Amino acid sequence: MAMVIEARDLSKHYGETVAVDGLSLEVPAGALYGLLGPNGSGKSTTIRLLTGQTPPSAGTATVLGLDAATDPVGVRRRVGIIPEQETPPSFLTAAEYLRFVGAIRGLEEVGEAAAWWFDFLDFGDKRDVLCKDLSRGTRQKLMFAQAFLHSPRLALIDEPLVNFDPIVQHQVKEFLVDYVRRGNTIFLSTHILEVAEEICTGFAVLHRGRLLATGTPDELREEGRHLPDVFLELVRQERSHV
Amino acid sequence: MFELFVAMFREEWRVHAVLFGPAMFALLPALVGAMAFMGAFLVPVVNGALPAGDLAAIVHVLFLLLGAMVGGFGLVGNEVMNRRFGQASFVAYAARTLPLSERRIFAAFVAKDTVYYLLLWILPVIAGVALASPFIDLPAAAVLRLFLSLLLSFLAGLAVLFTATTVYGRSKAAFAGLAVGAAAVLAFSLVNGVIPSFPPLAIYRDFSWPLLAGTLAALGAAFGVSLLLFRPVSAGGERRHPDRFTGLHRRLVRLPYPALAAKDLLDLWRSGGGGGQVLFSLLLPLGLCWFLLSLLAPVLPAHGVLLLFAVLAGVLASTMYTWVTAFDTLGAYACLPVGVGDLIRSKLGLFALLQVVPAGVVLGAAALSGGANVAVPALALALGVSAWSVGVTVWLAGLSPNVLVYDPRVLLAYLVGVGLPVIALVVLGLLNPWLGLSALALVVPAALAVRAGIRRWEAADSAFF
Repeated sequence: MAMVIEARDLSKHYGETVAVDGLSLEVPAGALYGLLGPNGSGKSTTIRLLTGQTPPSAGTATVLGLDAATDPVGVRRRVGIIPEQETPPSFLTAAEYLRFVGAIRGLEEVGEAAAWWFDFLDFGDKRDVLCKDLSRGTRQKLMFAQAFLHSPRLALIDEPLVNFDPIVQHQVKEFLVDYVRRGNTIFLSTHILEVAEEICTGFAVLHRGRLLATGTPDELREEGRHLPDVFLELVRQERSHV
Repeated sequence: MFELFVAMFREEWRVHAVLFGPAMFALLPALVGAMAFMGAFLVPVVNGALPAGDLAAIVHVLFLLLGAMVGGFGLVGNEVMNRRFGQASFVAYAARTLPLSERRIFAAFVAKDTVYYLLLWILPVIAGVALASPFIDLPAAAVLRLFLSLLLSFLAGLAVLFTATTVYGRSKAAFAGLAVGAAAVLAFSLVNGVIPSFPPLAIYRDFSWPLLAGTLAALGAAFGVSLLLFRPVSAGGERRHPDRFTGLHRRLVRLPYPALAAKDLLDLWRSGGGGGQVLFSLLLPLGLCWFLLSLLAPVLPAHGVLLLFAVLAGVLASTMYTWVTAFDTLGAYACLPVGVGDLIRSKLGLFALLQVVPAGVVLGAAALSGGANVAVPALALALGVSAWSVGVTVWLAGLSPNVLVYDPRVLLAYLVGVGLPVIALVVLGLLNPWLGLSALALVVPAALAVRAGIRRWEAADSAFF
């Protein structure tokens, strides 16, 4: 099976702090892959490494066949990204921001796609509001829309549901499952384990920058176990070793 | 509120101490003081060419100008806090969760910024002059008066601009009325041969307690009125705009990155109250520069004022790069296929476009001052100096030119890198105006500095990207 993400011994150090420590991971095409871990486990840094936002201290990351360290712009051109903090430029309106993203990505016309997203996530009444005046949830909707504007084969999403109300969470989960069903790949980081168990086809558990386990929710179900229980067990074991 | 002020003050220290190292940041006032100390030795030399009264006036107007450059709080309102601190739960932002009005938070912020500038810039300058005073025959009493009057000059510049920008933020018509009224009073005074009195300068020349009390009261009133008029713009409001991006993007298509340039132009326009940034950060300082230089006219060769003005316009024009880098962090581009080099190039493209404004000012000054015959070398001086200064800025600071003000190593490198060619060009221009054309030669090293700067900052692992 073709791999869309391949990380080999990937590490990132910030001075004395080790954010990611020798991570090796493969994500197959067509997966809805969850990167799980407690706060500060290195999930966001892993996404930053995979999308070339920061260079690795050691190891390599290949995304859609491109080296994220040597061709970061190429990687970001081909994938969709929702970064950890939702930061659309402040003084553009929501509609202008989507046009801006479309122009940067070289899309001829984004009006129709933008209209679909405004309607789907129910924030069309905010299209002319400056991004800096949008609520956190609406900014997250906007960032969600920009990540999928160019219909990427692979989207890397950091905590996709955290600012959404339950209705939007449900819609977004359905969208992600459907997007993968259409042959694309989603790599998401989350610490909402129930969501990961519900929609992910594969997962990796990260703790203090190190990979603790990989697997699929189906495997766990066959063993009669639940992802949240397994996750807590793994993290507690690891903490007791330290 | 005092606790908030202290917390903001401490935070400002820590932000810069983390960025530049505590020792390096603490060295900044020492560097400023050392430069003032050395500069003070020029006083006897300049005094030989200039009447002492004019020199004192120039120094006081310079401090007024410095205060004016810092005092645009009202123009950008809360944006200044967001820009300086971001919204990453720093004190200014977190304080909004406390039972404090936006106005009080803003007042604490203005007070903190004012005290910081006093400690980092104003007091070191005065200390440098005080240390040099035994060597230049400046009596101790004069040093004390200078300390007070320069402090008041700085605060006056700060208060005038703070008031003006706050009024501008409330009502552009009221601001226009105020500006026309001030211009009318000034014109009436000059026509009738009455030189308007500047209280801080009067305090230096002839100190009196009533004058000091009156000046302090006027400053207090100006600050008080500004704070009362200040309108918190981000207090829950939703600002709406029609789509201007599409049209701008189409119009800027000749620039290297039209989408980025269109975004930056909208940021600039919408954050600074329309053309307020141009007015307060460029046109007013240039007006003051012209006034100061005109005092030197008797000791300068023909067209000397215009050529010096063109050089200063070039230096000030280069700060437009700070404008176009002030509104976003690299984090805003984390999800987009653009690199640091693309961002620097796009911002320089817009910077080049904005040079039309200072170029127009220099040409206008040439026409109005009877220097139309040397307008071309004046323009070359302005644009060449601006290009070189921005090249040095890109090399030293990449997308964060604000570090120039706070990191003594970077500041020193900037002053030397920009100062030496500028001095050489001033000398050449004063020898023969047409030698000012040689400034265009700076465009080549400027381009090389930009190219090297892009390589340097692309290789840096930014914590924000």
